[in-house]
Amino acid sequence: MKDKILMIVFVLVLGSILTAALVAVNFYTTPIIEKNEEIATKSSILKALNIPFNQGEVEQIFADNVDEKQKDGITYYVAKDNNIAFPYSGSGLWGPIEGIIAVQPDFERLQGITIIRQEETPGLGSRIGEAPYLAQFEGKRFSEGLKLVQPGRSSQDNEIDSITGATMTSDAFIAILNENLQEVMPAIKQGEGQ
Amino acid sequence: MKSSTLAKGQSLKTFINGVWKDHPIFSMILGICSALAVSNKVENAIAMGAGVTFVLLATGILIAALRRLIPTRVRMIAYMIIIATFVIIVDRVLKALFPDISQAIGPYVGLIITNCIIMGRAEAFYIQNRVGQSLIDALANGFGYTYTLVSVAVVRELLGFGTILGFQVMPEGFTKWVVMAMAPGAFFVLAIFIWIGRSLAGMEEE
Repeated sequence: MKDKILMIVFVLVLGSILTAALVAVNFYTTPIIEKNEEIATKSSILKALNIPFNQGEVEQIFADNVDEKQKDGITYYVAKDNNIAFPYSGSGLWGPIEGIIAVQPDFERLQGITIIRQEETPGLGSRIGEAPYLAQFEGKRFSEGLKLVQPGRSSQDNEIDSITGATMTSDAFIAILNENLQEVMPAIKQGEGQ
Repeated sequence: MKSSTLAKGQSLKTFINGVWKDHPIFSMILGICSALAVSNKVENAIAMGAGVTFVLLATGILIAALRRLIPTRVRMIAYMIIIATFVIIVDRVLKALFPDISQAIGPYVGLIITNCIIMGRAEAFYIQNRVGQSLIDALANGFGYTYTLVSVAVVRELLGFGTILGFQVMPEGFTKWVVMAMAPGAFFVLAIFIWIGRSLAGMEEE
């Protein structure tokens, strides 16, 4: 009997001490982690809006160049040259894809796309996150929906090349972008008085 | 018998066992789940190796120090909560100080909890040995795990991305071996490493 009580006491004491240690670690790291995430989002917004910045002065440049606005519960960001950015998210092939879409002031063409988080197949689907792939979105007309075509075949101004060997991810990515643009653009247009 | 020379000889044996004879990956094929997953880039391999080594050291010291106090019947639970605590600490610290690396190896840090190397060493060694010996064993096993991960990662990053630690090594126009960047590449490379390692150590299948 005494053994059993000792056993329970031991587990309880050990558990409490270790939990206390975790609470302390959590207390010290949470603000730093939140800060990191905020900076990651801000630098992603700057990148989508094509505003040059150095790592380390993200906050300053963001504050100087970008206005945060809200309309119908949607948060969006307006740059000095009236380009507008907003966050998007959706399901990729393996997991959520999140990032920032920036559109030009005519509300018809894309300015830039960035990806903050994705879990696509390394080396295949994950290439949606690479700069050359994302670069092709600049200037594309999204008002009638972006259209995916075979790799290297894009000729119209709303056509996007897919990635060889990553058809499912390419499909999902375009669908996410179209969906988010359709959902968010009306509110932004209203908010900007268009 | 002088106890100091005995201890010294034993320490050396413990260390050599950890990095070579009882090498967790080569000889026991333990912990290869994470070894396959994070060895696509050298940077990730180093971070993962450091994480596992830290958890091994902390767990080793704590379990060895508590070995007379831990009741036999709940020792597994004790291992689990001790390991889990340190793994969560590693995860939080990585997230706070190295967000990029944390992003790359994210889910696998949590999986250190179930890395058999740590549970295995706790049950096989730390629960029966003094703190000093356990510390050496933890260092040796952590080092063994890390150097294997890093050497697999060197091959995979070189062929899969054409870089080492992010620096371009292969000439421009080098065709990347996509398979090396993905999990199957790790199976090939790790299998070759285990083959070489075992042949050198003269190990035989029973």
